[in-house]
Amino acid sequence: MMMRFLKLLLPLILVTSAFAQDWIKTGTGLGVEKVRLAVPDFNPAGQDPKNAELLKVFNETLWNDLDNAGIFDMVSKSFYPLGQVGTPADVKFESWSSAPPSAAMLAFGNLGASGNGMTVQGWLYDVKNVTSPQVLGKQYQDAATSDAARLTAHKFADEIIFRLGGGIAGIAESKIYFVSTRSGHKEVWAMDYDGANQHTVTHLNSISLSPRVSPDGSRIAFSSMTKGGWEILMYSLDLNRLVSFPRFGGTNLSPAWSSDGTKLAFSSSRSGDSEIYVVDSSGANLKRITSFKGPDVSPAWNRKTGAQIAWVSGRTGLPQVYTMEGDGTNVQRLTDQGYAVSPAWSPNGQFLVVSWMRKYGPGAPGAQDIYIMDIASKQWVQLTHDGGRNDFPYWSPDGRHIIFQSSRAGSLQIWTMLADGTNQKQLTFAGSNTQPNWSWK
Amino acid sequence: MAANAEIFFEHDRWGRNLTWSLVLHLAVAGFILLYAVIIPGSHGEGWGAGGGGDAMGVTLVSNIPLPSTPTQTQNVLANDSKGITQSLPKPEPVEEKLPDAIPIPDKISKTKPPPKTSATKAKTKPEPVEEADNEVPFGQGGPVSGPYGTFNANGAKGGFGFTGGGGDFGSRYAWYVKVVQQKVSENWLKYEVDPRIGSAQRVYVTFDVMRDGHPANVQVEQSSGVPSLDQSATRAIQRIDTFGPLPSDYAANKVSVEFWFDYKR
Repeated sequence: MMMRFLKLLLPLILVTSAFAQDWIKTGTGLGVEKVRLAVPDFNPAGQDPKNAELLKVFNETLWNDLDNAGIFDMVSKSFYPLGQVGTPADVKFESWSSAPPSAAMLAFGNLGASGNGMTVQGWLYDVKNVTSPQVLGKQYQDAATSDAARLTAHKFADEIIFRLGGGIAGIAESKIYFVSTRSGHKEVWAMDYDGANQHTVTHLNSISLSPRVSPDGSRIAFSSMTKGGWEILMYSLDLNRLVSFPRFGGTNLSPAWSSDGTKLAFSSSRSGDSEIYVVDSSGANLKRITSFKGPDVSPAWNRKTGAQIAWVSGRTGLPQVYTMEGDGTNVQRLTDQGYAVSPAWSPNGQFLVVSWMRKYGPGAPGAQDIYIMDIASKQWVQLTHDGGRNDFPYWSPDGRHIIFQSSRAGSLQIWTMLADGTNQKQLTFAGSNTQPNWSWK
Repeated sequence: MAANAEIFFEHDRWGRNLTWSLVLHLAVAGFILLYAVIIPGSHGEGWGAGGGGDAMGVTLVSNIPLPSTPTQTQNVLANDSKGITQSLPKPEPVEEKLPDAIPIPDKISKTKPPPKTSATKAKTKPEPVEEADNEVPFGQGGPVSGPYGTFNANGAKGGFGFTGGGGDFGSRYAWYVKVVQQKVSENWLKYEVDPRIGSAQRVYVTFDVMRDGHPANVQVEQSSGVPSLDQSATRAIQRIDTFGPLPSDYAANKVSVEFWFDYKR
């Protein structure tokens, strides 16, 4: 009884206390749903003839970025109330927050070109909070080109995703590196995360495979066929040329950066059998960390801790995925059967994504599909179903997306999806495009 | 006399208990023998053993950092479908008289008739359909129409409660509160809870969100009585690197959060 009385009294005491201390009280099971976000087309500011073209690119990019983020329920444009929304004064809260739009958030703004410059103003409003609605207000200035308009849209989308997505930076400005045969040779290519702006990076006229960009985005390590056999090469994106990296002899494949960018893991057959080696990013301090009979390939670092390595070992016959500490101790097998390759560690260190044929062998109708495995609980979930051969999955920097190659469209192409397997989209169409790798930010 | 009787009585009971204990031990030993030797079932290494892989956690998808599907809402009527009836338009605002206004007798009779437009509108309007109390207005059936920026003062029923001097954080930055709620829900791994527990008392956890968005001072405020549940709740917070920086125009250095976890298997 006394306690109950005290409990009743406690809030009063706290309210009257002089501390400027805020409390949020909330809990689970409250129905976590996606934020309903309305994004009316940005308004032209001024009469410049370039406005229309820039706005088209900007609006399309902004909408796609927010739609792809996977954390918003985008309100269809047909539900929007009539009238343009270009400035905060134009916002009629009631008409946005009530049905039919029933939006929780509203992103709006204007774009104006003048001469060679372009100014974009963007706002994000919590329309159900009339008294202090502004979550975000931004102004961007750039050249009046469609590339700049696209970049500005990416930046504004990332700001919105960063605020409403819980401090995880958006991926709209991230890049994807991959291998393409479009020039006649397998070269390393790059593109924006949404498939736009595809261009070649290397011109080696050889065969280049498994590009891996460094955490700071300055270099790409990849394996390439050289005169001395398969070697790890290093390409500087700052200098736009190859930089020196030691040749180790034997067949050297599938480099992988540690999350701090100081080390590379790769597989090498310099001792006869294919084993995992770790080397400094400068090429010094080569260390062998596995010594098992059978091939050991495709290392992948734990991106959160930088302490574990997942890799593929063929010691039992068919390739299986294993994990170990960075020094080769504590080896654990993760896959139990079939044919499992291409592990990649999620940014939060919680999951592995692998390409797995659960049933493999004569008479077994094996489909190669993408699976996620939870390291701690050893549970797994299948993400792709009955659609060709799916391989080389890799995580986006925000951990919400997975990119992979698939043969479902007839030829090998690069696809992207949300990390729960939904929203699968094809990004490349020309030639054969394989082995995608997402930049770290 | 009485003391003697008590001693004898205790001796008696001790002997009976010994017999029971013996029987029980034999039964347990027999059961273990039966379980381990006679029924060599599938109790080996669970993961990795062939055939055992079929029991997979479909719940995993909600654990990866994606917004999960609506699990539970307070509104019993909430579902994905829109309501069947259309909302009635808002009633015309009635002109309110000031409470201390003194009516002037001469002017009362000369009050203006209501504007003609509203009168004609009222004529053309179809008869309003009586709405039953349990009907969901059109477009407002889902959880979307839930409070967003408005809060329950007591913190009951999953609302947000505030105490403290400058305590308007929740009303000013409702979007941030929502982010906190969503992020913690995503990072709570229910498989960490003892699988024998069906349901448990609500566990209350408090923590601070610092200026740069990282959680600190995670504490169990009120235990659920299930240690593994308390621990999984604490871990859910500790697993989070950041909620994102606090709103830049917010003055204080941190905001304190009370978060509760309702566990039901």
